[in-house]
Amino acid sequence: MAVTCPVDFDVASLRQEVRTIYARVAAAPDGDFHFHRGPHYATTMLGYDATELAALPADVTSSFAGVGNPHAIGPIPAGATVLDIGCGSGTDLLLAARRSGPTGRAIGVDMTEAMRRRVLQGAAESGLTHVDVRAGDATRLPVDTQSIDVVISNGVLNLVPEKERAVAEIARVMKPGGRVQIADIVIRETLPDSALRDIDLWTG
Amino acid sequence: MMDVFTAAGFRDVRITHRYNCFAGTTKERTAQRYGVIGANVSAIRELA
Repeated sequence: MAVTCPVDFDVASLRQEVRTIYARVAAAPDGDFHFHRGPHYATTMLGYDATELAALPADVTSSFAGVGNPHAIGPIPAGATVLDIGCGSGTDLLLAARRSGPTGRAIGVDMTEAMRRRVLQGAAESGLTHVDVRAGDATRLPVDTQSIDVVISNGVLNLVPEKERAVAEIARVMKPGGRVQIADIVIRETLPDSALRDIDLWTG
Repeated sequence: MMDVFTAAGFRDVRITHRYNCFAGTTKERTAQRYGVIGANVSAIRELA
């Protein structure tokens, strides 16, 4: 995977395109997109636990658009402070909040306002008072240095042209010995210029 | 991406699971052509 934007995309425009697409996902998750969404996809293709997803508000899980399953990597300890980068509608964040429990903390960061509203509503409906949602993006995390035990993320770093900067931010906010549990897109082949310029491949 | 994490001071950087997340989407053929998949990645932040 490229570590910096390899073509002359305007990064600000790309960021705005990502915001627009994910605002559409929040507003109408059953719409026409080039990626899967929702709890059926999460359980049948990514191995999420159907019972755990059914316990979350449907408004949260219907907009799920991950590419893997960070929770399959390992258990989130009780009492942990978890950061979900690009938390979207909150499926992974609320699952993390349930696992970290009331002695832990679950912080979500997302640059799409409609998604942040959905997470906060979902957390309130679920009685998860230790969920905190902040505006921001992966390259400028609004999180204190060395404050996070576990970083999760799902299908977000592939949307970020400045990957080295994003990973440096992850390193900054994590406590020494903390664990990264992310899901993302990986590519086995070198992409041709035509594919690199397909903005759908950057925004999905 | 694995190299980026290693360069940033993470250890035990590895892919733990792979997913054919584009199956059935309009990008399935492109994904197959270039080997694009979803993957879980685990890493540990080095101790100070």
